[in-house]
Amino acid sequence: MKKYWGIFRISFQQEFAYRLNFILWRVRNVFQILLTYFLWSTVFAGPGTQIFGYDRAKILTYIFGIMIVRALVFSSRAMDVSRDIAQGDLSNYLLKPLSYLKYWFTRDVSSKVLNLIFAAVEFIVLFLILKPPFFFQGNAVALFAFTASIILAIMIYFFILFLISSIPFWTPEIGWGSHFLVTVVIIEALSGALFPINILPQGLQSLIMATPFPYLIYFPVEVYLGNIHGSALMGGLMVALAWTGVLWFGLNFIWQKGLKVYQAIGR
Amino acid sequence: MVKKLKKYIKIWWMMSRNSFSVIIDQKLALSVFLIGKILRFVFFFGFLYFLLLGTKTLAGYSSNQVIFFFLTFNIIDVISQFLFREVYRFRPMIINGDFDLVLAKPLNSLFRVLMGGADIIDLITIPPLIALTIYFGSLLHPSFVSILYYLVLLLNGFLIAAAFHIIVLSFAIVTLEVDHTVMIYRDLTSLGRLPVDIYQQPLRAFLTYLVPVGIMITLPAKAMMGMMGVMGIVSAFSIGIFVVFIALRFWNYALTKYSSASS
Repeated sequence: MKKYWGIFRISFQQEFAYRLNFILWRVRNVFQILLTYFLWSTVFAGPGTQIFGYDRAKILTYIFGIMIVRALVFSSRAMDVSRDIAQGDLSNYLLKPLSYLKYWFTRDVSSKVLNLIFAAVEFIVLFLILKPPFFFQGNAVALFAFTASIILAIMIYFFILFLISSIPFWTPEIGWGSHFLVTVVIIEALSGALFPINILPQGLQSLIMATPFPYLIYFPVEVYLGNIHGSALMGGLMVALAWTGVLWFGLNFIWQKGLKVYQAIGR
Repeated sequence: MVKKLKKYIKIWWMMSRNSFSVIIDQKLALSVFLIGKILRFVFFFGFLYFLLLGTKTLAGYSSNQVIFFFLTFNIIDVISQFLFREVYRFRPMIINGDFDLVLAKPLNSLFRVLMGGADIIDLITIPPLIALTIYFGSLLHPSFVSILYYLVLLLNGFLIAAAFHIIVLSFAIVTLEVDHTVMIYRDLTSLGRLPVDIYQQPLRAFLTYLVPVGIMITLPAKAMMGMMGVMGIVSAFSIGIFVVFIALRFWNYALTKYSSASS
């Protein structure tokens, strides 16, 4: 445990090595939020507008909720794993007395803590500037379910990242390409980070809800808003748990296969 | 002048051919990026479509008009990426001092680092994008003058996009720490995926005058909808030319700060 605490501390300090870079990365997040915020603010500009089951307070809480949930779920360092594999740097870690998976999970946690601090500050600043109506969830069950769904989302995202990062075992040239396709394009759209999934037609919604992606952002935020409760809440948590298990087993299988074909090219 | 232009067109073609050859050699990577770009477009297009199915209008604009704003953003964004992709590869050139080799050549260094690596992946997506824009543009029933204004303002949009890319290049020389200034530019322009009218003041003024995303993207689309007069076009061009002037001055200043480190 002590060595992972050491990794956490070093990783946290590393994030400060390029301070301006980090700040600009956060600025980029704010731009993304602004587009989504003003888009939905315009849609719900009329008093008493109700569309797709949302009122103005709930949709703007959804957008502000995304800021925090994104910082918790999407802040990650594990995409660097593909570079380790493609450049042969993985060998350095395989020789060390530590679990490679735990090493990156620890680095992810450190990144999440730092990003969460900044996201909280951005949240407060934007909240004071924009003064949106906000929905405060007071139900203890909903808050507990929200926490559980966040933990599952973090696990699902970590396993997806690791699975995608394993592709360079077989095709090193598409390391960044596969991340672009899955994390930048597919996850960004289907997780609910851009729009709530329930604005889509029912058939498309059901299809997307069967994938692990909406359990990263959409499901936790909806749980917070109290829009998912009772059996639907339990069912959603079960599906997220099932995806966590499937991805965990899938990752173990792929990783073992990958290690067998790993040739430390570049070392 | 004509001789010089011919020389630069020939050089651009040679550099683009080399750049295309590198990417075509990596067919799998090309396919993955191409699929990613198409999916990203489809997802946002689908989102807008379903959103407008529920709301009917956005900030007073009809569905077809909102989609046309989005397509105009894509036209400027994708063609800029196709032409100026080399900007994304500039920082390593500065860090390891390879920019020396560019400066030593009998060729305008800005031309080389701005347009030296056209992107074939973006080129593939341009024809269908133009076809879609023409289709949705025709649904707006524009007059001949509106189409002319649109094309003129589109050209102004490309001028501003070029200026932004020159500023990004200059930043890479002046401050080595920043490695994603170009992504900040992309995020800022992505605010133009929708008409800037949806943003509240002072963000709207910021996006219209200070970082002229509105002039670059929103105004051409508005011209197609018959919402622009001659004075508006003259003002837009004045701002466009001013931004290019500032960008070139900044580039000249940045060159004096180049230290040729690591070379």
